[in-house]
Amino acid sequence: MAVLIEAIDLYKQYRKGETAVAALAGVTFAVKAGEFISLVGRSGSGKSTLLNIIGGLDSATSGQIKVRGCDLTAMDRESLALHRRNVVGMIFQSFNLIPSRTAVENVELPMVFAGASRAQRRRRAEELLDLMGLALRKHHRPAELSGGEAQRVAIARALANRPAILLADEPTGNLDSRTAVEILDLLLQLNQERRLTILMVTHDEPAAARLSHRMLHMLDGEIVQQQELRRTT
Amino acid sequence: MSLFDLLRFSLENLRRTKLRTLLTTLGVIIGIGALVSMVSFGAGLQRNVTETFAANDLFTTLRVFPVKMKIEEALSGNLAGAMDGMQQKTRALDDSALALIAAMPEVAIVFPENTFPVRVRFLGRETNTTLRCLPAAMGAYKPYDKMGWGAFFTSDSAHEVILSYYTLGQLHLSLDPAEKDSAETRRTHRHIPVDSLIGAEIEVITSVFDLGQALGLSSNGQAPFSERVTRLRIAGIRPKPHAFSSPQTEGGILAPMVTGKKIPRFVFTSMWNMLSRRNQATEGYDVLYVRLKKLSDLGPVRKRLQALNFSVFALADQFDEIRRGFLMIDMALGAVGAIALIVASLGIINTMVMSILERTREIGVMKAVGASGRQIQSIFFFEAGVIGVLGGCLGVALGWLVSRLANWIANIWMARQGGAGAEIDFFYLPIWLIVGALLFSLLVSLLAGWYPAARASRINPVEALRHD
Repeated sequence: MAVLIEAIDLYKQYRKGETAVAALAGVTFAVKAGEFISLVGRSGSGKSTLLNIIGGLDSATSGQIKVRGCDLTAMDRESLALHRRNVVGMIFQSFNLIPSRTAVENVELPMVFAGASRAQRRRRAEELLDLMGLALRKHHRPAELSGGEAQRVAIARALANRPAILLADEPTGNLDSRTAVEILDLLLQLNQERRLTILMVTHDEPAAARLSHRMLHMLDGEIVQQQELRRTT
Repeated sequence: MSLFDLLRFSLENLRRTKLRTLLTTLGVIIGIGALVSMVSFGAGLQRNVTETFAANDLFTTLRVFPVKMKIEEALSGNLAGAMDGMQQKTRALDDSALALIAAMPEVAIVFPENTFPVRVRFLGRETNTTLRCLPAAMGAYKPYDKMGWGAFFTSDSAHEVILSYYTLGQLHLSLDPAEKDSAETRRTHRHIPVDSLIGAEIEVITSVFDLGQALGLSSNGQAPFSERVTRLRIAGIRPKPHAFSSPQTEGGILAPMVTGKKIPRFVFTSMWNMLSRRNQATEGYDVLYVRLKKLSDLGPVRKRLQALNFSVFALADQFDEIRRGFLMIDMALGAVGAIALIVASLGIINTMVMSILERTREIGVMKAVGASGRQIQSIFFFEAGVIGVLGGCLGVALGWLVSRLANWIANIWMARQGGAGAEIDFFYLPIWLIVGALLFSLLVSLLAGWYPAARASRINPVEALRHD
C-alpha cells in the first residue's frame, strides 16, 4: 500500500518566554493510505502539534513532512491553504463550527473556499448531512445541536472537499461515553467503507485499541512506541 | 471564492453587528456628506463667477488704456520722470486708435468707455454711483443687448440714461411689488412701477472745479467745487444681475457717449489722476474694450497692442487669479471634509480591528477548512468596501440635502438683507463630484480596511482555534 504521510526527523520548538520548549523532538513515522492511526499520550506530549503540522495549520521547525509526496515544510502559505482545503479534513474536540451559520452552511464552507457553485455545494452538503444521519437538523445552528450532532456536522464538513486524510483531534473529548462510541463507530465506518485514512489524537486508549490499525505512543515530543493492532484490510 | 460569495459573506457579517456597522457607516456618511457639501459650495462659487464672466464675454475681452503707468517711478517720488516717460509713450485713445484696433482681423468689436463718479437724485433720494458712457451701438452686443425693462439708447447724443439694478437698490427702489417678501425689504424699499420709471427724469449731479471759489473771489467758506445738475431721461433698466456679478460690470448707470462728454465734470480721484488725465476729456477715451473672436488670439493681440504703446489688461488674467483663489478655497473646504473622512476612516479601522478580535476563532476555523490568507483578507476588505459604498451613497445624498438646505437658508437671508439680485444657487453638485465622492469613499474605506484585513489574513490558525 502506498505511503500517504511520511514524517522524517520532525522537530517543533516553541519559544515560551526565554526558554525554548520542544513540542516535537525528532518524530519519524509513515502512514499508508487507508490506515487508521491513533496517537496517544499525555497532554503536552506533542500529539496535537503533530496533527496540526500534518494538517498544514502549523509548521515544523526542522525535518520533513511529506503528504502524498509533497513536502509541507517547503510550501508557501497559499499552498498550505490548498493542502488544508483539498488534501486533509480536520475535526476537533470543540467541533469548531461557526455559530452564526446553520449546519448545512457550515458543511458548505470548505466548498465556498474551493469555489464550488452554490447549487453544487448545497447538494453535496445535504448529501453529507444525510449520510451523517442529520437530515432533519440541516438548518439548525450549532447552538441548537447536541454534542454528537455537532461533531457529525464537523465530520461532514471535514469530508466536503473529499480529502485523502481525516485528522481528528480528540473528537470524543467533549462527548458523553455513548455518543463518543457512536462517533468512533462512524469514523471506523468511514475508514472501512470509504478507505479514508484517519489520524486520531485521543486520550481514550481502549477506544483507540478497538478502532485503529496502529497506535503511536508519544512522550515529550517523541514517538516512544508503535503498536500494531490489526492488519489493514 | 466568487465575488458574490464575498459580498454575501461580508453582508452577513455586517448584519451580525448591525449597530456597530450602522455607527461606522454613519461616520462615513457624515464625512462624505461634509466633503460633498463643502466641495459643491466651492464648485458653485466658481461656476457662478465663471458664468458671469462667460455671459459678458469677459474671457475674450482686453481692456486697453492709453499709457503704461510708471507706478514705481511715481511712487518713488520721481513724478517728473514718470511724466516724461509717459509723455513720450502716450498714445491717445481716440477714434483713430479705435479704428486701428478695429481693423485687426482677430477683433470682433472695439468700444470705448468713459467712466466718472456721479451722484444721482431721484424722487428725493440720492446715491453715489458711476456713470459709464458707451456708444449707442453697444445695444447690439453683450451684455447690453439684453435689457431688463425699456430700451437701450436711441443715439449717442440722446439725453438718456440706463439704470442698473444695483442703482435702484441704492436708491431704495424696488420694481417688483412682491420682491423678496421680507418685512425688512418692504420697510426700507419703496415699490415703484416700471411704467412710471421708464421715461422719468433723473438728476445726474457732478462736481466742477470752481475757479472763483478756489481763488477766493467768491468766498463763502466752501470747497472750491460747485455742483452741476444734468437731467436725463430714464430709457431703460438693465436686467437683474447674474449671480456673483460685480458692481464693476453690472452696477452704475449708463449714458450715451456724446451726452456723457457734455456732462461737466472734474475728475479728482487722486493727484496722479488729475495730472495724467489733464486733457483726456477732450482728447480721447478712458478705456477701450477689445473683444476678440477667439480666446486663442488673446496672447498675440495683446502683444501687438502693447507694441503700439497701449497698456493692455486681460480680464482672463484676472480670472486666472480668481481661479487660483478658488483653488485655495476649494482646498480649504476639501480639507474640512477630508478631516471628517479621516475620522470616519479611523472608525472603520476601529470597527474592523474589533471585528477581527471578536472573530479570531472563526477566522481560525475558516483557515482550518481551507481558506487562504488572501480569501480571509478579501472577506474583510469587502466588508470595509461595503461600508464605503454604503457610506458614500448615503453621504452624497446627505451632502446634497445639506447643500439644498443651506442654499435655501442663504437665499432667505440674502433677501432679508435686501439683496436685489436673482436667486443664487451657491452650490453646484456636478457628476464628477458625485462619482468622485463615491470613489473616494470606497478608496478611503479600502485603505482603512487594509491594515485590519492584512492582520486577519496573518492570523495563526492554531492560536486562533485556541482563542475564545
